[in-house]
Amino acid sequence: MHAPAEPRETADALAPAGRLLITLRWAAGLSILLATAVARWALGIELPAGALLATGAAVLAYNVALAVEARRPDRAAASVARALWSQIALDWLAMTAVVHFTGGIASPALIYFIIHVALAATVLPPRQARVMALLSAVIVAGLAALEATGALPHVTLPDIGLGGDLYQNGTYLLAALFFFTTTALTLSELVSRQAEDLRRREARIRALNEERAAFTRAATHELRAPVAASLALVRSIEQGYVDDDLSPMQSVIIQRVSERLDGLRELIDDLLDFAASREVSLAAQPPEPVDLGAALDVAIDRERPIAEEKDVALHTSDCPAVTVLAGDPGLSMVLGNLLNNAIKYTPAGGDVTVQVAVDQPSGQATVVVRDTGIGIPADELPRIFDEFYRASNAKSARIVGTGIGLAAVRAMVEHYQGTIALNSVEGQGTTVTVRLPLASTKQP
Amino acid sequence: MARKILLIDDDPDVVLAMRLPLEREGYEIHEAADEDEGLALAKSIMPDLIILDVMMGSHTAGFQLAQELHGPDAPEALRRIPIVMVTAVHQTTPLRFRPESDYLPVQAFLEKPVDPRRLLDEVRKLLPPE
Repeated sequence: MHAPAEPRETADALAPAGRLLITLRWAAGLSILLATAVARWALGIELPAGALLATGAAVLAYNVALAVEARRPDRAAASVARALWSQIALDWLAMTAVVHFTGGIASPALIYFIIHVALAATVLPPRQARVMALLSAVIVAGLAALEATGALPHVTLPDIGLGGDLYQNGTYLLAALFFFTTTALTLSELVSRQAEDLRRREARIRALNEERAAFTRAATHELRAPVAASLALVRSIEQGYVDDDLSPMQSVIIQRVSERLDGLRELIDDLLDFAASREVSLAAQPPEPVDLGAALDVAIDRERPIAEEKDVALHTSDCPAVTVLAGDPGLSMVLGNLLNNAIKYTPAGGDVTVQVAVDQPSGQATVVVRDTGIGIPADELPRIFDEFYRASNAKSARIVGTGIGLAAVRAMVEHYQGTIALNSVEGQGTTVTVRLPLASTKQP
Repeated sequence: MARKILLIDDDPDVVLAMRLPLEREGYEIHEAADEDEGLALAKSIMPDLIILDVMMGSHTAGFQLAQELHGPDAPEALRRIPIVMVTAVHQTTPLRFRPESDYLPVQAFLEKPVDPRRLLDEVRKLLPPE
């Protein structure tokens, strides 16, 4: 298993980092303005306020541009990386200006350069982070050299003790640059290695999840085909399409084989639904507009024959035209599972009712599936959505089931930002209410 | 004369399970194990009905064969033969379809595992007594 396509990974990993930098920069720009104003006018410190205010304003100005750029949807990896590099370049320029205007190599703001080195190291691979750390040392050394030689006028701040000629003291310069460089290099090494390790693990986890889902799908198909073929064959005997009449014992055995195969088929279907529900939440596919009525029709068409065979009446009313934020075929899976459960746990002669309502004020569509089945004991209700949990009365009635259908349904509904509630009275029936967000509050 | 039904499925057990009830009802059954054999047989015997599995060699072999049998380029005689498509609800195919969709030219869908009674119901609907 090799690392997945690099650009996509990089874009996914870098986009949040870019957004974090933008958030931090609002604070940085405002801080420069505020600190300058306080130092100059509240504390009366002599400093080049105009230049510093201009720097703060510039930081805020280019952050506006960066924030607009970051909001563009579907940015290519190259564009995300480019934006990140321009952020870093602009920040370092602004940082250099602030350091220069507050006393150069003697400036108390110098330490902030280290923060920029650490920030760059969180998003860059170790080698690039090392280059950035060295670059910061070169910038600081260059600034110090320009000021020491007088090529760039040194800014003195006598009010805070930065009025001397420290900036021309060779020993101090060497010592300051030594400590600065070693700190920058060590920090960038530590941070970038940790960050890279985390990114690699994240990619590995994602790849493993995809692999697992693909395996489940393949395995499920391989399992389903022989079960379906066996069931079809057994049913042709069961329904009397094969030669002679069976002895009573042979009939019983065929019927039992058929029931066991049915249970196996159901287990496989549930496992696939379950795998799909996991996969969807992991892939974080955003919910999309889905026609609720159409999804309900698919589920009802599928379950109606089962209800008829069991002599359970399936009542449905016309579904209002409504589009919800969900997924296809996830929504059909959710509705099919609920209907299937309702029919399965309702004895012959019972009723299953499906109702759909739209609540515009809350922006939700409600699907209610009500049955007159065996219900769930009150003390078991809290566990009913647990994976592989089955109510004791369902087990003792020997109704085939796996206990993962509802877990899959809940995972799916929650992925769609909906809610699911279940009320039940043992011996009377169960009502499941699913609420899903409407795709749009305006319906035609 | 007995009506002819062509079963196209690569799973011999599924074919047998469909053959048993259909023969009981007096239909004449022909079998093909893949889409190429199915197409050739359809052209030579001109069945009254074709029952076709979606997933054979590839995940969409059945869809492609249905297009060839009923597509705009197919001969009129082939296009008149109704097709029942056998699918699995959870089948993972790259094509999404709904029974009523018009781009898939089949007349009925049957879900796996095939239930003999439902199979006969569908067949009777498409091949009413003459």
